[in-house]
Order: sequence, then structure tokens, then C-alpha cells
Amino acid sequence: MNPSYSQAPVFSRQTPGCIVLLVDRSDSMGMPWAGSEGLTLAQGAARAINKLLFQLCVKSTKEAGKPLRPYFYVGVYGYGLCPRTGLEGVESALPGALAQRAIVPLPELADSPIDVRSDPSADALPRRSRMPVWYEPAHGFRTPMCAAMALAGAHVAEWARAFPRSLPPIVANITDGLVTDSPYQGVDLAGWAARLRSVRTDLGHTVLLNAFLSADPAPITAFPAHVRDLPEPAPELFAISSELPEQMVRNARAEHIDLEPGARGFVFNADLAMLVRFLEIGTRYEVRDG
Amino acid sequence: MADRVTTAVELVAFAVAKAGSADAEWEDGTGYDPGDPRTGRPARLVVADGATEAYDAAHWVGQLVDAFLAPDGRAPALDPAGLDAWFGRQQQVWAGAPRAFATVFEEHKFLESGSFATFLGCEVHGLGGPEPRWVAAALGDTVLFHVRDGRVLAQVPDLAAEDFGVTPDGVSTQPGQRARMRGALRTRDGALRVGDCLLLATDALAEWVVRAVRDGDARWRELTSVDHPQVFRDLVDRLRAAGDVRNDDVTLLRAHVTPTEAGVLVICR
Repeated sequence: MNPSYSQAPVFSRQTPGCIVLLVDRSDSMGMPWAGSEGLTLAQGAARAINKLLFQLCVKSTKEAGKPLRPYFYVGVYGYGLCPRTGLEGVESALPGALAQRAIVPLPELADSPIDVRSDPSADALPRRSRMPVWYEPAHGFRTPMCAAMALAGAHVAEWARAFPRSLPPIVANITDGLVTDSPYQGVDLAGWAARLRSVRTDLGHTVLLNAFLSADPAPITAFPAHVRDLPEPAPELFAISSELPEQMVRNARAEHIDLEPGARGFVFNADLAMLVRFLEIGTRYEVRDG
Repeated sequence: MADRVTTAVELVAFAVAKAGSADAEWEDGTGYDPGDPRTGRPARLVVADGATEAYDAAHWVGQLVDAFLAPDGRAPALDPAGLDAWFGRQQQVWAGAPRAFATVFEEHKFLESGSFATFLGCEVHGLGGPEPRWVAAALGDTVLFHVRDGRVLAQVPDLAAEDFGVTPDGVSTQPGQRARMRGALRTRDGALRVGDCLLLATDALAEWVVRAVRDGDARWRELTSVDHPQVFRDLVDRLRAAGDVRNDDVTLLRAHVTPTEAGVLVICR
């Protein structure tokens, strides 16, 4: 049945969204992030992640005094230093017992912040005074990005089987470095990324977004359609990034970002403000029940 | 000498919540004041539609509907200046209401984006006499259709089918939105006869009516005669199942001009 009315893709209680963040926790994430208020890359990434989770919670708030609506499932994975074990690897970075379940309904995460702090946001909202914190920065060891894609892919596939009528999962990878575990179990980064992107619902394939952070001031390239002139690791990250779905194209254009046909979900040399915008553009869909 | 024709309006409202939502989650609002032909107070009709992502839209819609129908002078004049001032008063009432936020997310949403609803207000003047007139003001994609002999004589706002589903205009709780609201407000009026019908419909149903009229699909005329809430619900279910109407809250307020004594409002859900 083709509806005769215009129908934008939506998240709803019946067809929730799945948003998964992969966060580089390698040693180099401890470097200062130029132009980001004295934050390290790890601290800036944590601020962007907490801001995104906060925005999703706000979006899921409908009625006064009522629980959040389960419009989203979320997962956060760190790779590099695993604070729970003190070793190198990949682990869920969700707080407390939620880490055992990997991808959880957002209302459960909303109820489980590590802390609530006064924390200026990246866009300096003037009136906010309290900000829940779910994700803490960490850094150490190398960059096992393949293992992160493998673990996230397994959980995303499980989620997609449970919600086949939903929009496909969105996975955003935030990194500042070169992958150090490729090949992993005989498969290189491109292979693990392809496996992750192959996970699908009835409405399409998993969307993989990649944000490369630059500690030093450098020209930002957002949502490119090619990377002919960019240095490593831009070509590799560009190659594993999904072409932007129509909704994300609309989101980017609403932010006055010019896009060429074939633009991909990739940003190179992102500063903190661009990382926040990148995550917003990649996750902004209407929520509507029904 | 011919008898002088006296007119009245017979009113009925129907509402169906989104499929998959409880009836209590219906976020539209509608109501009617029959007016008083003896004093010249016009009849008033109102429909509002809370935005899906707005904060506590049901309460904002309820406030707008109640205030529009208030008999104590809180109702607005249906002209741009009167409505602009009334929107400002409603924003003040909203901001000044005592609130206790259950979560930091509620507080943030209240402060940063607030609530939002489309609004359609209508007055019918001259009831009791032979030449009643309607005047309507619309902000957003809740639509009034003036129907005579199975044809749409007038529509406010004048939206094409493609205009629905995009970010609609509406009444915001944010004072900073007043200028935008002034620019988006649409008003129109028209003369009524016995047998005419005013249909006030929220966006999902209005979009279907606009498309049906454009395409010569006569099924929309069922809205001028449907007389039982289950019949209306069945119609909406059929339209949703056929992909003709999006799954959204649906509200229809109908005023039928009759030569007899007016009925009373019944909201059928």
C-alpha cells in the first residue's frame, strides 16, 4: 500500500529508533582539543555524547509528570581503555547495571545518570543549570575499532530482529586515530563496517556515521561526497561511512550545510561544535506515535 | 408576506485518537459556544491540534480552547490585532501557571521550546436572522471548509495537499514567536444559508479532504452527514487502512445551518 499523503520517517513507541555511539578511548584522546575551552578530546566527546543523550530525553518527554516515552533505544561503547577492567578492549559505557544489556530503552538510561551537574553546554544554552551525566571520559591504550564494530554489530543485529518495522539503527563512531586491530579475526575494518551496515530492518540498512576529531585547528570537511584531497585516515573512514539517508540530507541542509550528491555521514577534523552538530544531524527524526 | 427565515446551527464533534495510542492521549481539542441571538453574541467554534513533539500539548490545547470559549471577556476579537493580543495573554497565563517539574528534561523542554498547537477559531454572527455570516482565523494546518450543496465554497487556510506534513504554523507558548505568529495568521469570512455546513478538521483529515476535492473523490462528503461516533471511527479506520489518511489524532467539528432550533454540542469519541 502506497500512502497518498506525504510520510516522513518517524520514531514511535511501536517503531522506536536505535542509536549507538562508538567512542574512541585510546591514549591520544587525552590530548587538548584546540578551541574547546581547555577540554581534552575525550572530555569534549563526553560532553557531546551527554548532550545528545539529554536531547533525546527531552524529545521523549511529552506530558507533565509522566515517564519518558520509549521512542529510542541507545547503546554507548568505548574502545581503547576499558575502565571496568583497566585493560585494552571494548565495553559498554552505559552506567551501572545497564552496561550488561548493551542497548537499552532510553527511559531506563534517563533514570540512571552517574551525576547531575552544572555544566555549560556546547551551544551555551543560557538557562540550563543542571545536566545529567551518563558518560564519563576515559583514555588509554590503542584503538581497537574493529572489535568495537564487531561487538556493536552483534547487538545491533539482535535489536533489529526485535524491531523489524523500525527505521534502521544509526551507529555513530567518534575517533581521533588510526585503527590498530585490523584485521580482527581475519576481517579488516572495511569488512567489519560492511557487516555492521548490512544489519537491516524492513526500512533499510544500518547507517554508519564517522566523526574524526582533530586536536589541532584544521579545516573541517563535513559530509563530503569524495575525499580526494584529504590525508589519512580520511579515505578509510569515508569509505566505511554510509551515504546520507534523505532525512539526514534534509537535516544538514536545514543547518545550511551544502551537500553534493552522494554525501556521506563523515566529518573530518571536527571541532566540538561540529561534533555536536554532526550528531544532531545524524539522529534528528520526528517522533510520532501511531 | 413570506415567513421570516430564522437560522440556527446544529453542532457535532467527532474525535479519534491515533491508532496505537490510548483515547486519553488525544492531543487535539475542540469546543463550541452557542452564543446568544437575543444579545447578538455570536456562536463560537474552535479546534486546536497539539504538536507531536511539544511539551504538554494537551494542556496548552485545553487552555486555548477554554479561553477562546470563555464567557467572561477572555475570548479574543477575531481580527489580527485582537488575536495577537490574545495570544500574548495566553502565553502569560501559560508562563505564570504554577508548575513542579518531575524531571530536568521537563524543565528544559518547558523553558527552551515550550508548547505549540495549531489553532482555528470561528464565529457565526447573525444567528436567529436570515443572513448569518462566519468569520474564521487560522494559524496552522487545522482547516475550515464552508460547504454548500456538496461543494467547498471556501477554505481557510488555503492549503494545497502538498502543504500538509511540513512544519506547520501554530500558537507557541514562547513570546519570541509572536511576530512569526502575526505573519502566519489567516482570516476569512463568508455568508451562510440554511443547509450550509462548516467543517473544521485537524490536519490529517483536512489533508484528505483537500486531496479528495482536488481529485473528484466524493467520499469526503460523508463528513457532512456522518451522525454517529462509531460510523466516524469506522470511516477513519478505513481511510487509514487504505493509506488515505495518516495515523494522527483526528478531530472534526461540524456546524450545520438549520432553520430550526439549534442542537447542543456533543463530542463523540
